[in-house]
Amino acid sequence: MDVREPVPQRKARALALAGLLSFLGLWCVLSYADIVPTVILPSPTEVLRAFPVLHFEEALVRSAGWSLYRVGMGFVLSALVAIPLGLLMGTFPPVKHFLSPLVDPLRFLPISALVPLFLVWFGIEETMKIMLLFVGTFVYLLPLVVEAVENVDDVYLQTATTLGASRWQLVRHVLVPGSLPAIGEALRVMNGIGWTYVILAEIVNARLGLGHIITVAGKRSHVDQIFAGVLVILFIGVVTDWMIRVANKQLFAWKS
Amino acid sequence: MARQLTPLGRLLLVLAGLSLIGYGLYKYGVLARIAQIVAPEKRAEGTVSRDDFGASPPAGTATAAPVGAATSSTSLGAGTRLNRPIKVAIVLWGGYAGGIMANGGLAPNKDSVFTRDFGIQVELLQIDDFTKSRDAFRAGGDRGGVDIMWSTVDAYALEYGGLTRLNPKAILQYDWSRGGDAIAVDASIKSVRDLKGKSLACAEATPSHYFALYVLTQGGLTNRDVSWKFTDSAVDAANVFKAGQVDAAVSWSPDVYVAARERTGGHILASTKEATNLIADIFVARGDFIEQHPEDVRRFVGGWLRGVDMVHKNPERAAVLLQKSLSGVNTLDDAKGMLDDVKLPDYAENRAFFNPQGSLVNYQSIYQTAQNIWRKIGKISQVYPGYQSVDTRFLEGAAEYFPQAGTVKPEFEFTAPPKAQAQPILTKTVSIYFPSGSSTLDENAKAVLDTQVVDLAATFGGAYMRIAGNTDNVGAADTNQRLSRARADAVARYLVSKGFERNKFEVVGNGPGKPVASNDTDEGRAKNRRTDFEVIPR
Repeated sequence: MDVREPVPQRKARALALAGLLSFLGLWCVLSYADIVPTVILPSPTEVLRAFPVLHFEEALVRSAGWSLYRVGMGFVLSALVAIPLGLLMGTFPPVKHFLSPLVDPLRFLPISALVPLFLVWFGIEETMKIMLLFVGTFVYLLPLVVEAVENVDDVYLQTATTLGASRWQLVRHVLVPGSLPAIGEALRVMNGIGWTYVILAEIVNARLGLGHIITVAGKRSHVDQIFAGVLVILFIGVVTDWMIRVANKQLFAWKS
Repeated sequence: MARQLTPLGRLLLVLAGLSLIGYGLYKYGVLARIAQIVAPEKRAEGTVSRDDFGASPPAGTATAAPVGAATSSTSLGAGTRLNRPIKVAIVLWGGYAGGIMANGGLAPNKDSVFTRDFGIQVELLQIDDFTKSRDAFRAGGDRGGVDIMWSTVDAYALEYGGLTRLNPKAILQYDWSRGGDAIAVDASIKSVRDLKGKSLACAEATPSHYFALYVLTQGGLTNRDVSWKFTDSAVDAANVFKAGQVDAAVSWSPDVYVAARERTGGHILASTKEATNLIADIFVARGDFIEQHPEDVRRFVGGWLRGVDMVHKNPERAAVLLQKSLSGVNTLDDAKGMLDDVKLPDYAENRAFFNPQGSLVNYQSIYQTAQNIWRKIGKISQVYPGYQSVDTRFLEGAAEYFPQAGTVKPEFEFTAPPKAQAQPILTKTVSIYFPSGSSTLDENAKAVLDTQVVDLAATFGGAYMRIAGNTDNVGAADTNQRLSRARADAVARYLVSKGFERNKFEVVGNGPGKPVASNDTDEGRAKNRRTDFEVIPR
């Protein structure tokens, strides 16, 4: 293996498959051979058996729908706020400096510590859950958007200025299109973060939700159901990630 | 000649066709059926009413069979002695005072009663996060976890299904919650009935939830009469109440009392100070641990209960030790408060508790009732017989340590009758049939009292009960008044024969004076012929 040696696509796929299979194999060996007790690591069969139980008794599909809705709302809200604000900050450094004492520390915000506060501020219904997902993703998205705008090459700006572009035209025709591909990538990351926070968001008063299913399963020692719930989240995460990637490719084709 | 359809026209046609088909599917319930297959609803939530508590377990489920009836210590079976400390998961709670006394703190301790007098080492681990304590129990003491964990009988009945692989067994009751759990309500709520239609926060499927269900149902409501707001922890429930987000909250001490005090008009509706025999804290041991080290478990049980006797003799020292050992106890007064919120049962009381024919409210009765209730509201789908979840051999085997242990003495003293202006926490209305003009209880009436009232009176061990007889308006009012009083008296006498103190009961004959329905119809008159059981705090 040479450093950064490119791998042909077929070989790459084979490697991915091998990785997946060896992981599954390790899981099978550890659980079926009882090296790790099943109350700690359930076997693949047990996890599979948990699916019908979750489906028929815990409304798995409806729960997935609700979680998707909550993550989606948080995602859309944080995009709606962070993208314009980030463009503003990336375009006009004074705005950035004005806001930076507020924005920079936000990245270290311990979201889990906010749950009790959010309960008091936003109540115990959907608002609280969506706000938590919004804040959780927003604090990461904003700096990425600013960075995306700042990374647009000065050459384009200078060229446009030489061609007589106005301030608005610079933003509209240079900075926005130049930063959008990177913002699209940032949104992919946000989708991932949203799915990790959904468990936290659904800890309180969620009748349905994947996070709720996992929390309850944890409390009742149903490790198999925890695994099944996590698998569903992974699945949805991968599918939505793929969708965003395809959308990015379609929308920002000029990048490549 | 027919004209070609434009693409738009074709699309419209297809759409129209599809919507017709869709409407048909919807109309004939096919869509609903498909939705039920693709995305079924949650397991249906049934209604829990007062008849679910205290009634005898339904046929088919296990009737409490005596476990480990053989009391000889040989029945413990062979095993090896443990060469490390017994690891026990506990939380921030006063109920552990007995063990902390016997251990001289949380860490294993050579000079402790456990080691000196019982020849074992014990390590108490404070794990306040519920899920983490369960993780530790699943891991086991040999793998960095614990051998024994805390639970409450009601919650254990719920989590047992997830733990069956570990074959867990309840081995000891270390306390009754006595004020540790409470319902805080806003100013508009004066009795349980006022909770109808209100929002109620609590941690789901916990003792708080169980306590709420009990109080609601005994007060004449069902689980469907309130809007539940489930939080992750009891502390969260208290906080959302304090913030005014809900009308009521069930939580534990001290948070629930702080929340009730800090919200304007907030107050405590009911607590386990009155419902004394409802929330029982127990230790649950792993099946493999019991099997491998039965002798150590027996000594643990003995040592712990010796510690309980020590606490009873010297509560001051227990409070000091509690404050020093548990993290989160700020002052000595806090520690004393924590001790006041619990009752530590001694050896004799433990024996009575684990004997299905012992106390009126016992392990088996709570376990069975709780399991039924969790099943009814869809929290579990499988039930397990109560005797499978408990192992009393260690308690029985510890008899040698408590030669003086006698019978259980009545715990509460009722001196003066309750104050007339005292507001009942809840009123349970029961129809007891008496033959016309008579105040004699027949077998039917006794059976009604057994299922509807004895459990209520025993569970609210620390509260007065006012028995108020009421009649319809047929016949002379003063005769009816006398008769209703005589009937209430007969009820009180029957309850006293079940082991209650006479002073617990106040008897009132209302006659026709307090109707709850119109006396103009048969139905109304039937409603008025009733006995009200009012639970009144001491």
